[in-house]
Amino acid sequence: METVDLARLQFALTAGAHFLFVALTLGLATLVALIQTWATVTGSPVHLRMTRFWGQLYVINYAMGIVTGLVMEFQLALSWSGLTEYAGSVFGSALALETLVAFFIESTFLGLWIFGWGRLNRWVHLAVIWVVTLTAYASAFWVLVANGFLQNPVGHELVDGTLRLTDLGAMVANPAARVAFYHVLGGAMTTAAFVMAGVSAYHLRRRTAEHELFRKSLRVGVGLALPATLFTAAIGGIGFETLQPAKAAAWAGDTERLARMQAEMVAAHGPGDYLPPVGWVQGGAITMLAAFAIMFFIAGPSLLLMLIRPAVRGFRLWHWLLTAMIPLPFVAMLGGWIFREMGRQPWTVYRLLTTADAMSPVTGAQMGFSFAAFVTVFAVLVSVNYWLLARAARRGPEAVTLGDRPVEAPSPVLTF
Amino acid sequence: MEIFILAFFALGYLVLAGADIGVGMLLPYLGRSGAERRVVIAAIAPFFLGNEVWLVATGGVLAGLFPELESELITGHYSLVVVLLMSWVIRDTGLWLRGRLPDTGWQRWCDGAVVAGSWGLALSWGLLLGQVLTGIDGPLAVLPALVVAALFAAHGLAFAALRLRGEPHRRASMLSGGAGEARTFALTATAFAVVGVLVGLRLPLSAGTAGAVLVPVILALIPLLVAAQAWVWWTFRHRVTGPSYL
Repeated sequence: METVDLARLQFALTAGAHFLFVALTLGLATLVALIQTWATVTGSPVHLRMTRFWGQLYVINYAMGIVTGLVMEFQLALSWSGLTEYAGSVFGSALALETLVAFFIESTFLGLWIFGWGRLNRWVHLAVIWVVTLTAYASAFWVLVANGFLQNPVGHELVDGTLRLTDLGAMVANPAARVAFYHVLGGAMTTAAFVMAGVSAYHLRRRTAEHELFRKSLRVGVGLALPATLFTAAIGGIGFETLQPAKAAAWAGDTERLARMQAEMVAAHGPGDYLPPVGWVQGGAITMLAAFAIMFFIAGPSLLLMLIRPAVRGFRLWHWLLTAMIPLPFVAMLGGWIFREMGRQPWTVYRLLTTADAMSPVTGAQMGFSFAAFVTVFAVLVSVNYWLLARAARRGPEAVTLGDRPVEAPSPVLTF
Repeated sequence: MEIFILAFFALGYLVLAGADIGVGMLLPYLGRSGAERRVVIAAIAPFFLGNEVWLVATGGVLAGLFPELESELITGHYSLVVVLLMSWVIRDTGLWLRGRLPDTGWQRWCDGAVVAGSWGLALSWGLLLGQVLTGIDGPLAVLPALVVAALFAAHGLAFAALRLRGEPHRRASMLSGGAGEARTFALTATAFAVVGVLVGLRLPLSAGTAGAVLVPVILALIPLLVAAQAWVWWTFRHRVTGPSYL
């Protein structure tokens, strides 16, 4: 395998792993903040327990989002220094603003929310989770401004072989960024909705304790699933109109348009292969659309069933189906990303910098080392965390430690 | 101004995260039983998230304001940066996952991850800073790396002395002795700042072209960011009395 292919695979695998966690974080943060608002305003004990249970899953998931995100930030400079050197002053500006405007505050306040439970005034504590949620949106927004620039570079000029930022406003208003932001936000809500519905359905099917808590949670999840799915699909439809011509041609499998794009690019940029891999583009898009279709057909009737009390309590086949749906939004997310990013190839910055030129001048051995290190550690992390997440979800609110005053477990003295 | 911003976040990272990394390095020394180690972790738990974010911000500032330096520093030390990142990830994972299972074997694994990750971070920072500062390459580069790692450990001890009680506190006080805990911490913090400044003086600090747009935004943000952090420090200013969520 060529070094550049290894670098791409490394980026794809680590970004994919990161994104699985981010998607759920973004949606679940919103739901936790809403439920905590209800709990704080009404003082309802069941909503407080809901906040802690879903908050615990959110925190387990978030921790993985952070550690994989750390790698993402520095991987850009590690493996793709051609991009940083060429477009750092433009693309890097969006990343700089992401870290400072959004993530810095998000992370600081998340610490306050987790460890300040019972220590801060409850209204202040509520305000803290809202700050975490809104800065999470801001974080997603700036990352997608950076990504949108790669898809559709605007607001820059070329001086002495590197790009300069001339118009921050144009970069922020980039349709390739804005549409993606709303699409991802909708996808995150869909993910959180299906996770909440699926986990609640598991508990209702198993007839565990905390009936009331999971009935309410199921209604939140199912109630959100259909609007979130439709919103995401509607924005995605607009997104299809902002596709690069080559991506659109690859998606349509239109060989004539593809040939025309190739000829046009050769005329503009010199000889080379300028077409995205058609199979990947179509495969990604079809995966996303198929997952959407299934989610849509389940979410619609579920919204009606949710209104029937005996069904919420005891329609076990439906419960089982909702739980089985949990992986689908994640599949849709990854499919969508493959569609978006593969369709941009062979460009890193569309029509300005190719992926091959964006790569750092590193040896195959170096890339092999980082590939082995990242992929091994990430594989372990992802498996352990999904196992822990599933375990915490199965054990239910009884076992939640978030927001609890930890009691010192009687420890066997001097065992080690 | 760009240089001030870079220095602000980079030094902030070294001084703040240096302390919790140091505590992680000395976890087996400070806490002899699983329960004691949990209390030692509680001493850094509310801070480590807010501390490491200074490095994330430094990375952002490098990306936006110093793209050339970024690629020189990071691509130029490729394998070292990979080790640094992996140590960071392993350490954080240990911290986050330790309290998830009540099993002592699991907690020992996580403690191991925290200790190994903290040492990995301190040593790879040592190698990176040492290489920039002294230019020494090859086996001798280990010497400045060990000096920097020792500084991490000393800073961690000084921080632990400020945060702990009882037996772990007595162990942490080994360093400060009668010199005063706050004064010792101020001293190790200053040492970190000095190392940071010296390294900075050796770096080719030529800013990119985004300053005109970014600098005013960042300068306006800094008071807000510091206020958010100060709130965390104020909320958790008391010595730890028992285990926390982690």
